[in-house]
Amino acid sequence: MAQTRLDRSEQVNGWAFVMPALVLLGIFMIYPIIWSLWMSFQVGRGANFSFGGLANIQRLANDALLIKALTNTCIFFFIQVPIMIVLALLFAVALNDPTLRFRGLFRTALFLPCVTSLIAYSSLFKSMFSADGIINQTLLTLHVIGTPIPWLSDPFWARVVIITAITWRWTGYNMIFYLAALQNVDKSIYEAARIDGVPAWARFTRITIPMLKPVILFTTILSTIGTLQLFDEVNNITQGGPGNATLTLSMYIYNLTFRMMPSFGYSATVSWVIVVIVAILSFIQFMIARDRRRAS
Amino acid sequence: MRKMTQLGFGARAGGRLAAALVGAAMLASSAFVGAASASELTVWCWDPNFNIPAMKDASERYTKAHPDTTFNVANITQDEINQKLQTQFLAGVTDGLPDIVLIQDDNIQRFLQSFPGSFVPLSDSIDMKKFADYKVAAATYDGKSYSLPFDSGVAGLFYRTDYLEQAGYKPEDLQSISWDKLLEIGKDVLAKTGHPLISMDYNGDDLIVLMMQSTGQWYLKNGKEPNILENPALKTALETFQKMAQAGVIKSVSGWTDYTGSFTSGQVATVPQGVWITGTIKSVPEQSGKWRVAPMPILEGVEGATHFTSNGGSSWYVLASSKHQDEAVDFLKTVWGSDVDFYQGILINQGAVGSLLAAREGAAYKASDPFFNGEPVWQNFSDWLAKVPTVDYGTFTPEARMAVRAQIPNIANGGNIDDALKAIDAQLRQQMQ
Repeated sequence: MAQTRLDRSEQVNGWAFVMPALVLLGIFMIYPIIWSLWMSFQVGRGANFSFGGLANIQRLANDALLIKALTNTCIFFFIQVPIMIVLALLFAVALNDPTLRFRGLFRTALFLPCVTSLIAYSSLFKSMFSADGIINQTLLTLHVIGTPIPWLSDPFWARVVIITAITWRWTGYNMIFYLAALQNVDKSIYEAARIDGVPAWARFTRITIPMLKPVILFTTILSTIGTLQLFDEVNNITQGGPGNATLTLSMYIYNLTFRMMPSFGYSATVSWVIVVIVAILSFIQFMIARDRRRAS
Repeated sequence: MRKMTQLGFGARAGGRLAAALVGAAMLASSAFVGAASASELTVWCWDPNFNIPAMKDASERYTKAHPDTTFNVANITQDEINQKLQTQFLAGVTDGLPDIVLIQDDNIQRFLQSFPGSFVPLSDSIDMKKFADYKVAAATYDGKSYSLPFDSGVAGLFYRTDYLEQAGYKPEDLQSISWDKLLEIGKDVLAKTGHPLISMDYNGDDLIVLMMQSTGQWYLKNGKEPNILENPALKTALETFQKMAQAGVIKSVSGWTDYTGSFTSGQVATVPQGVWITGTIKSVPEQSGKWRVAPMPILEGVEGATHFTSNGGSSWYVLASSKHQDEAVDFLKTVWGSDVDFYQGILINQGAVGSLLAAREGAAYKASDPFFNGEPVWQNFSDWLAKVPTVDYGTFTPEARMAVRAQIPNIANGGNIDDALKAIDAQLRQQMQ
């Protein structure tokens, strides 16, 4: 009896302690999420809402702009994420070398972009890559190019600028995860490999990468979500242009809500498209990682 | 609070409680205002070189005559104003909204139509005949006009006399010409001086809008139906733009700073733009005497084509939620709606060509400007202002402009115009759902 009463009072106390957090989470997180799901079935402009059933989902299927935004997001995703992950890995391994001098300096330099504000660095990139910007002037002076590259007014180059910008901003962030994971890899494994005469490249592909696999998976999922939510950079550097070449899903949602006649229901539907895509991609990434583990 | 119930969410107890609290707070504060007669009007506008100083000047004039009314003119960007209004109207919360707000003409209809009752119909107390027709029409909804028309977007062709002279053209050669003729001039200027004719952000459609509106056409018919496929003005405008882009006379820029930089640094020979760009052009004193202004070229072969068009331009609105509505309306009526002397001041200081027709009779409008080679630019602009064809911007102008912008780079690179028009039409129809 006494035992049960103590249990119960402990439980009550426990719940009482987590209650404030739970309530706040409920109000500011769970309630809006459920509400946005409800919104995604509403049609109408501005303040005139009405239940539209699956009308918004039908609208999704015929929305060329959504397809464009999705394609752009996929381009950023499939090109930028692998580049960034590989770069981050290489930097991490290089900076993990105890014989390297000024390691702290390099680490700081590579991580520094992560603490700059998204808006600040976007503005900087915009001015650097403008038609008369420092990048074009440098390339012209070095005679690498004959005429200025239309970085921001050509669809192809605009995408290149966005990919460069995100890579600059986030490589260091991912590198820190790998560096931390590398600290936990037992040095004796490398020692044994070295004694057995395993070459450096094989040590990297056969030891380092498998040991880091869980972290690589984690950063890949983070980057996936990050890419799908890409907004600040495109909004500040290219405004989604030229000709929607850099329009991303998040930017499209923003346009639907704030730039155009507000269509909140439909923007909520598009937001849920992102949720579904993130869920599917994360699931696939998990499966791939799990399969490899089983195979090896 | 009424809006909250309209949304159909009113059943929530939290909403009711909040409504009651806000209601009580509003009662309390209005009682307080009633007791103390002094009041402060908050104004939101965005350009520190243009509409902000103009508004400050106006408010000082009003405060001089009505010492109890003071003003707080806040610098809020146009995007932010649109966002804040949209979000707050939708939520039905009016806390923190200003008393008077500046909104661009092609953006106002969506507010008037999506959030009826949010603005005070000024045509009830102010005679709208005193202003340029097309400005009043832009803010008229359901028979009432809601704006106090402010700056006109009436446009002209600003040009560098020195570059044109080097290419062998005199000011007379730019009077009453067509866009095709301007293109020929542009080719000569490029060949002889190396300067491109104009600069343009391929992520914008200002040039298309300028050309199209000069014929009285718009992206939308009656403000509701897409007017893309059967719109000869739009087609000719896009064709003209393509010819110019292909001839290499357009310098492509990215963003506003790049755009203004292209003429303040003397790179391009002409700037076809709304009169509000004057302040930026005149911001480089060394270029004084090198500029002139010609009427806009005509879009030849299109029915209703004129030399008069407009781009941008905005107007003042009084929010229905304002606690000082009567004062706000009276302020707009007495200063912005009749003080001709005030308009002379903002013309000289800010280059603001207002829409009050009577202001044209003032002394400043008759004066010539040495920056523009002693041309009576203000008189010209205000003469053109009265002739700008009226168009109905409708509700979906932002959608239409976005659809057009999406095709601009493609058209510049020589893409098929008919295909582009089909794509614009399709995107616009999709977005109008």
